[in-house]
Amino acid sequence: MSHDDIQHHVKTYIKVFIALMFLTLLTVGASYIDFDISPQFRSGAIFVGLAIASFKGYMVASEFMHLNNEKKMIYWVLGLTVFFFIFCLSIPVLWEANLMGDTNFEQSPPKIEGGHH
Amino acid sequence: MQIPYNEELRPDTGLYNAKLGIWIFLASEIMLFGGLFSAYIMLRVGAPVWPPLGTAQLNIPMATFNTVVLITSSVTMVMAWASLKMNNFGKFKMYMGLTLLFSAMFLVVKYFEYSAKLSHGFTPAHDTFLAIYYTMTGLHVIHIIAGMIVNGYLWMPGSKMWKSNPERFTNRIEVAGLYWHFVDLVWIFLFPSLYLL
Repeated sequence: MSHDDIQHHVKTYIKVFIALMFLTLLTVGASYIDFDISPQFRSGAIFVGLAIASFKGYMVASEFMHLNNEKKMIYWVLGLTVFFFIFCLSIPVLWEANLMGDTNFEQSPPKIEGGHH
Repeated sequence: MQIPYNEELRPDTGLYNAKLGIWIFLASEIMLFGGLFSAYIMLRVGAPVWPPLGTAQLNIPMATFNTVVLITSSVTMVMAWASLKMNNFGKFKMYMGLTLLFSAMFLVVKYFEYSAKLSHGFTPAHDTFLAIYYTMTGLHVIHIIAGMIVNGYLWMPGSKMWKSNPERFTNRIEVAGLYWHFVDLVWIFLFPSLYLL
């Protein structure tokens, strides 16, 4: 990387820094707003909060960690990690949906033997 | 025996070895924190009320301040690396020193936060929210301390390498920086998950 390239990078780092500061304040501000669309869907704030955090994470990873311009090998390592990470995070979600452990959760309770006929 | 590919790039990966090494290490770290985030979701969706009634109120202004401090330390870290790339060792020393200062500031704020909770009896055993809060933030603090030890070494005794092998030293700072940005990245998700949502 040439001296000019690095200077260009430095300018980007400062812009990203300002954006991260702004988004941090936005995250805090957004947490005080009621984003729930309806009583049935009460995850609006979680969605907004995590969306801002994901964008901040993307900026740190792409600019500070230089993932916007990296070698293929690193993308492979991270791709595999992301797959297992999503799998890891989906375990509790699947568990909560009763798709794991108890596959008969929607069926009626078993009849008790020896009851009235 | 000389470790190969410290400065020159390995032909098959296109990377110097330490860079591939730190990314594989960070992959394992993603899984470590991923497991804890998974546990957090499980506790949260399984609880009738979240956070549980009677639990501690977390200090949002303190945590916001710490988020600003940690993001700033991430910027000074990347600036330390950029300074070396521009052959400016003096600026490297300044930015690395600032990174260490911000890291210490983060720990001091965390100390006050923990001690305020513990003095009121809000220990990890109090409820599931505090259990996962202390586990996740505690593990993150351990990572901060580990990063400070490495960065402190590279700032003071380890910086002698700049005179004998500047390219290898610059690579060391890049690798230490990748770890530090990861620690910042984890906090970016911990902050809203535990304090705000």
